[in-house]
Formats: sequence, C-alpha cells, structure tokens
Amino acid sequence: MRRPPRRAAALVLVGGLLTGCAALPGLTDLPQPPPPVPTSVVPTDLPAPGIDAGVTQLSPDGFDAVRRMAVRIRNVGCGQISTGSGFALTDHTLVTNKHVVSDSAQLELSTYDGRDVAATAASTTGLADLAIVRTADALPAAPELADADPRVGDPVTIVGYPLGRRLTVTDGVVLRSETDPLNATLGEVLVTDAPVEPGSSGSAALDADGRVIGVVYAKSNTGHSYLVPVSTLRAMLDDEAAFAPAPTCAG
Amino acid sequence: MAVWTLSVLLVAALAGGAWLALYLLRVNEQWQEHSQQWQALAEQHGADLAQARSDLEATSSELAAVRGQLATAQERITQLADEKAQLGDESALTQQLADYQRRVSTAAGQVATALATCIDGQEALIRYLENSELYDPASLASYRADVERYCGDARDANAELQSELSR
Repeated sequence: MRRPPRRAAALVLVGGLLTGCAALPGLTDLPQPPPPVPTSVVPTDLPAPGIDAGVTQLSPDGFDAVRRMAVRIRNVGCGQISTGSGFALTDHTLVTNKHVVSDSAQLELSTYDGRDVAATAASTTGLADLAIVRTADALPAAPELADADPRVGDPVTIVGYPLGRRLTVTDGVVLRSETDPLNATLGEVLVTDAPVEPGSSGSAALDADGRVIGVVYAKSNTGHSYLVPVSTLRAMLDDEAAFAPAPTCAG
Repeated sequence: MAVWTLSVLLVAALAGGAWLALYLLRVNEQWQEHSQQWQALAEQHGADLAQARSDLEATSSELAAVRGQLATAQERITQLADEKAQLGDESALTQQLADYQRRVSTAAGQVATALATCIDGQEALIRYLENSELYDPASLASYRADVERYCGDARDANAELQSELSR
C-alpha cells in the first residue's frame, strides 16, 4: 500500500527537524552571555619599586654613609696646630690615630657638613697607632667593622681630610701586608695604593660593602698608604685595658 | 493519528528552532556590546597610560634637575665645611699667636720691672757704699743681699723671656 505523497513529505520534514534538534548541543553547550566588563583592569597589588641599595644609605641631605661617618680633628697643642681625620665607631665614639690626638691642649671636631662636635675624652693605645675619642654630641653615622682583614687585591676606599682640607674619598687596592716599618703598630699592617696625604691619618679604609677594614696611619715615600688592619682595631677595642688617657701637652 | 503526531512534533521542532534562533541572536548582541565595552576600556587605559608616561617623563626630568641641585648643594656644603674648618684653623693659630705675644709681653714687662729694681738698688747701694761710715755695716750687708736678690729676679725673668722667645 503506498502512502500519499504529502504525508511522506511531512514525515521527511518532521524527521529532518527532529534529527536536527537531536543534533543540537545541550543547553549548557550553547554560547553563554558575556560576563560584565570590569570598570578597570589596573592591578591593585603592584609590586613595590626596586630600591637602589645606594639610596638607602643616603641621609635626608643626600650625603652617603661613607661621608657622614668622617670626622675632622683639630689638635690644638701648646704652641702648634695640627689636623687629622677620624670616623665614627658609635654615636658618641670615634676612632683615629694616636699621633693625631697626642700632645693636645684641646681637640676640636667637626663633621662632614661642618657641624662642631665637642670632644669629652681621648684615649690612646700603646700597641698600635690607634686612639678613641668620646664626644658629647651624637655623630651622624657609624659604619660596621669588617669581620676579617682584606686580602691582597681587594678594593679599598679611604675617606678623610688630606692636608686638613675638604672631605675627600679616594680608591685603591690592597697591595700587601708587612711588618710596620714605623714600629708604631704591633704585628702586620696593610699597604694600599689609595692616595693619602698628611691629615689623612685616622681615615677609615672601607671595603666594597662600606665596612671598615683598616685605619690609615702613614704614607710611604712611594705614595702608598699604610693601614692598621681591622683585626688589630678589633683586638684593641676588645681589650679595655689597652687604652689609657691620651697624653696632653700640658703634661 | 499519525498525522496529529507528526504535526505536534513539527510544531515543537519549529518552536525549539525559533527559541534557539532568538537566543543566539540575543547572545550575539550581548557579545557585541561586551566587545565595545572592552574596546572603550582599552582606549581609556591607553589614554591613561599615555598620560602616565607623559607625567613620568616630566617627573623624571624634574628628578634629574633636583638631583643636579642636590649635587650642587652637597658640593657647596662640603665647600662651606672646608672654609669653616680653615677659618677655625686660622682662628686657633691666631689665638696661639696672641697667647704667645701675651706671654712674651708679660715676660718682657717682668724683666723690665725686675731690671729697673735691680738698677735702682745697685745705684742706691753705690751711694750707700760711698758714704759707708754713715751706715750700719749690718744694714749695708742686708741691703746688698736685697739688691742681689732683685738682680737675681731680673736674671730669672730674662731667662723666662728667652725661653718664651725660643718657642
């Protein structure tokens, strides 16, 4: 029995529609409406900008710690004036050379920015050309002492007042260690090619990290500088009995 | 019966297709609007970025200028500290010179005074000795001792003066 043509066509159409509907994806697979657009895509938890290590060393006036630690020393003796350098060890203590503070009637101190600092007492050690001066006023900044002496070839920076003039920073390297030719310091001393002048005595010698590795105490005929090594400085500082009141010109 | 069934299925299929078409049309419109909003947001951030870059450039320029001023100020501070230190040195030297001159002047005055006393005493002693019969010998001897002490003081004062002069 043959079906009428219209019924057959309807069957084909419905079958096709049903097949098409069956081929449709599920509702969850249909394209979804877009999420709302944010008002801003600027991240709120931005990483902090990198801080230059050198900037952290700056004081509000922009001077770095290397300069702020320096102290100029005027030794007003009995009939003579001399100058030297020193550097802060703590807020109220500075380190310099014995020969800078000896035979004085009065010690006059000033900082990198010209501020006067009153000295209250000076002590020297007989085993090394080292001295400690106590101050009534606070010193601007104090460096760290290195844990060990530098090695040959290590860079060195010296900050002080050569010839009693303006604050100066010079660079060089450690050349060698040898027995003190001046017999002013027990044990080995360091020789560097960083330029110094009379008046630089007591200057801090710093390593690349700004830590004290020695104290300038002399200059050779060849232009080299001699340092009391930080190990000797530490040994003297650890032994309170090593220091005695500095001799004055008044006797 | 079969015709009814087919009709129902056909209607249902047509309704489903119509709903699907409307849904897709609506979603399409929403995505188009979404795209326009993102584009607007991107343009806004682009404008903000351009402004921020301009501000950064201006700030960097100002920072460079401030750094230059800071370096100049530091140089000036160091220079002034040096000038102050030199003036302090000169002041201390001047004070020492003044102290030295004061000590020399004092010593010279003491020499002059002691020498005058010595000379006056010696002149008086000479007069006394020229008329020694008029004076008690013991008194004359005592006066001679006094004169010698005066002249000794003058010698000591002179030695002090020479010491100061040699410093």
